[in-house]
Amino acid sequence: MTGRRILGWGVADGLVLILALVPVLWIISLSLKTPATISDGNVFPQEISFENYEGIFEQSVFTDALRNSIGIALIATLIAVVLASMAAYAIARLNFPGKAIMLGAALMIAMFPPISIVGPLFNMWRTFGLFDTWPGLIIPYLTFALPLAIYTLSAFFREIPWELEQAAQIDGATPFQAFRKVIVPLAAPGVFTTAILVFIFCWNDFVFAVSLTSTSAAQTVPAAISQFPGASQFTQPTGSIAAAAVVVTIPIIIMVLIFQRRIVAGLTAGAVKG
Amino acid sequence: MRSRLGSAVGAVVATAAVLAGCGGGDDGGRVTLNFWAYNEPSGSFRAAADRCTEQSDGRYRIAFNPLGNDPDTQRQSLVRRLAAKDSSIDIMSMDVIWTAEFAEAEWIKPWPEQFASKVREGTLEGPLQTATYEDELYAAPANSNTQLLWYRKDLVDGEPPRTWDKLIDTASEMEEGGQIEIQGAQYEGTTVLFNSLIQSAGGEILDGPDKVGLEQEPTQKAVDVMAKFGRSPAANPSLENQKEDQGRLAFEQGQAAFQVNYPFIYPSAKDGAPEIFKNLGWAEYPSVEEGGPSKAPIGGFNWGVGNYTEHPELAFEAATCLRSDENQRSFALDGGLPPTLEAIYDDPKFEEQYPFGDLIRRQLDDPGVRPASPLYADVSLAIYKTLSPFSDIDTDTVVDALRERVSNALKSQGLL
Amino acid sequence: MLCAPAIIVMIAVTAYPIGYSVYLSLLRADLRFPNDNEFVGLDNYVTVLSSSLWWNDVFHTVVIMVVSVALELVLGMLLALVMHRALFGRGLVRTSALIPYGIVTVVAAFAWRLAWSGTEGGFLAGIGPIPDDPLTDTFWTYVVVIGTEVWKTTPFMALLLLAGLALVSDELHEAARVDGANAWQRFWSITVPLMRPAILVALLFRTLDAFRIFDSAYIIGLNGTNPKIETVSILGYNQLLNRLNLGLGSAVSVLIFLMVMLIALVFIKGLGTSSPGAQSR
Repeated sequence: MTGRRILGWGVADGLVLILALVPVLWIISLSLKTPATISDGNVFPQEISFENYEGIFEQSVFTDALRNSIGIALIATLIAVVLASMAAYAIARLNFPGKAIMLGAALMIAMFPPISIVGPLFNMWRTFGLFDTWPGLIIPYLTFALPLAIYTLSAFFREIPWELEQAAQIDGATPFQAFRKVIVPLAAPGVFTTAILVFIFCWNDFVFAVSLTSTSAAQTVPAAISQFPGASQFTQPTGSIAAAAVVVTIPIIIMVLIFQRRIVAGLTAGAVKG
Repeated sequence: MRSRLGSAVGAVVATAAVLAGCGGGDDGGRVTLNFWAYNEPSGSFRAAADRCTEQSDGRYRIAFNPLGNDPDTQRQSLVRRLAAKDSSIDIMSMDVIWTAEFAEAEWIKPWPEQFASKVREGTLEGPLQTATYEDELYAAPANSNTQLLWYRKDLVDGEPPRTWDKLIDTASEMEEGGQIEIQGAQYEGTTVLFNSLIQSAGGEILDGPDKVGLEQEPTQKAVDVMAKFGRSPAANPSLENQKEDQGRLAFEQGQAAFQVNYPFIYPSAKDGAPEIFKNLGWAEYPSVEEGGPSKAPIGGFNWGVGNYTEHPELAFEAATCLRSDENQRSFALDGGLPPTLEAIYDDPKFEEQYPFGDLIRRQLDDPGVRPASPLYADVSLAIYKTLSPFSDIDTDTVVDALRERVSNALKSQGLL
Repeated sequence: MLCAPAIIVMIAVTAYPIGYSVYLSLLRADLRFPNDNEFVGLDNYVTVLSSSLWWNDVFHTVVIMVVSVALELVLGMLLALVMHRALFGRGLVRTSALIPYGIVTVVAAFAWRLAWSGTEGGFLAGIGPIPDDPLTDTFWTYVVVIGTEVWKTTPFMALLLLAGLALVSDELHEAARVDGANAWQRFWSITVPLMRPAILVALLFRTLDAFRIFDSAYIIGLNGTNPKIETVSILGYNQLLNRLNLGLGSAVSVLIFLMVMLIALVFIKGLGTSSPGAQSR
């Protein structure tokens, strides 16, 4: 261990830290500026003010969007994880015709450009009455979350000691009972990890949110931020944007930090072993 | 962990169901009318909705539904819902330029004579024109807006120049603060400017709802002004990203002796830049030729009644109330939005808050109304995409390019 | 049986709409003129492919895609090596690297736009070679968009590569070191070939993802109004949802879809030829 190598790694570590954190710190700093100094170009606020935060929580534009974001992402996550668990179980355990097609289809969808279906979806949703509703967003989120969930889950499921399930089946349980009673508890950590990844995916979406909603009935936070009202018809809402950005970022960062090991495992499991 | 997550989801679903249950519909014989409008920050639109609800003697309740901030966002929200034949759009605030498009697509109802005559009474000519399409009134002008030429008396001697040409020359020769803040981004604001310029020079963008105007001489004069400005030192270096608010900020920071902008900059400078405010002067919007009309831009909102509403009669009545004298006064005094009813301009309170009120009224008598066409949105896109950034305008070829793109836009062809 | 629900959802929301999109793209279908629909054959495609706007936007998209994926690969590899080999601070590095991953893309784009914008009080505007308003300058606008993309997705790339690195055995490195190979030679002759499948998978994911770029270019381009960084996805969005011209917009959508398939095909071919080699070791 020479001093030079220690220094070298220290610099590398420090560099990563700075590059990762500066944009986040900047938006936090911006959110704490007063409206009058918001565009003064200083790195740090002259005086700390929570005016922007008070402002966004007084506006139903933001609180409604927050409610929609949380609700839509949770419901989509729940459904996606249930459907994906079933599919991943089949992929990991059973040999059935069309398995390759299934995996291929999932992979294709993972690569699918969302913009290509936004138009038809808009046209269909407006006739079905799904435009600007929660289900109108949950359905496309499911579609794009499922491949991610299936790949991640089948990687986890392959690691499960399936002999236990066979034991249960010998004892007279049907495959479905065996799945539910024996495997589900074992699979819970993997399922939970997948749920986090799917949740982050739904929370992050912008294309569908901005295309398939129009009001506070279903608009999620990313779409709402991009259309925030300013203090007057022509004023830029920079302070509100920064404050809202911080509010939606903090929970995710906390979640990522608490579950970082699982997230890393989940992200890599799907890609490498799948 | 699983069950806790499960119960959280359950709670959310339940909440959603409750929330979904409380929107719209009739409650006890009282009809709920949904009013969709830009969320005016002082809350004067919302207050007007409450006031009219009260004055209806329990016949209707107006539910205020806020729309986004900039007109493009508002249009997107409304148009997508109207395309879905959404019956929950009873009354909507429409930017003055949407009238033809919404009327032609049958998204709004024409105003029946009994209500229309009431709306016309005492309303300024310019705003009325923006609400009319093919001789029928399709909306009720609720507020108006126009741009003035603002300048700093400490930098400008006497009255500012009357024509664009001289204005640009004067600013270019100044040693400090020699900018003119103008909107030049690729958005509606650029079309607004071009429309005023071409009309001031005696031309029109369109010759009827579906025919290209763009006569050679006036068009050439208009683009010459824009190109000259774009290449002059009077232009903000960020001109191609400048919208109304960027112009206001640059002016408040002292970079500019002039700006053309809406009156919202007046209260803003009062609070945010008192030094500049002390010397803030205003003058009529510049014209292209000496002694020619200035054809200042006209903006504002009109209230339209949705074609798919289940309560048209009440909607017209409520929309009329939402633009009443009383409500327009509140839009003007609280929200800073110039009224469309002439009488309000003589109110001493209004005169005190708007020392330039008379100038606004004069400009609104003969403003630069943007063309009425069902394809206005496409026409405008074609124009601002061709003309912004100003500094790239090739004055020899741009008139032909404009004609071609506008003509494509009128056929709803071509990518924009 | 167990797969059925998942398959149904996925097919119903992708295959059917893409088919519908193809159908719409052959019509003149503008929602503002609902009674004017008619079959126009390939007219919409001719309009799109002969428009300079389309090719400009393809160019923007490809530049953003190529540059950002290349940078992500290099930086991601460096980050993966730091996470794999650093003498200390590995946990800290991993933790901080995950932060950009967790941040909503729209938020990341706002953070970058507001840091650079000359008119919105960015602290970077006007420093050194940076112009007073970088967002009016073509080169610097690319810098901001690509910077956002790279910042946001390098951690993901690094994690994929890290998983690949874990498969490279230390013994091989030891043996090579004994034979006198230096770190650089060992990296190129041992690490890279063994990681080839992992690298290709990571590249495939990121390339396709970058080609679809919408969120960050839309936000940094002031809600899709800055023509300098208009991407094909923004172009499609504008036709479909602002002009409500479903015919033209669908033609753009279908073309984007075809291009994505083409890119995927090229990569899968590459993957196919590399796997046997990787397995034969």
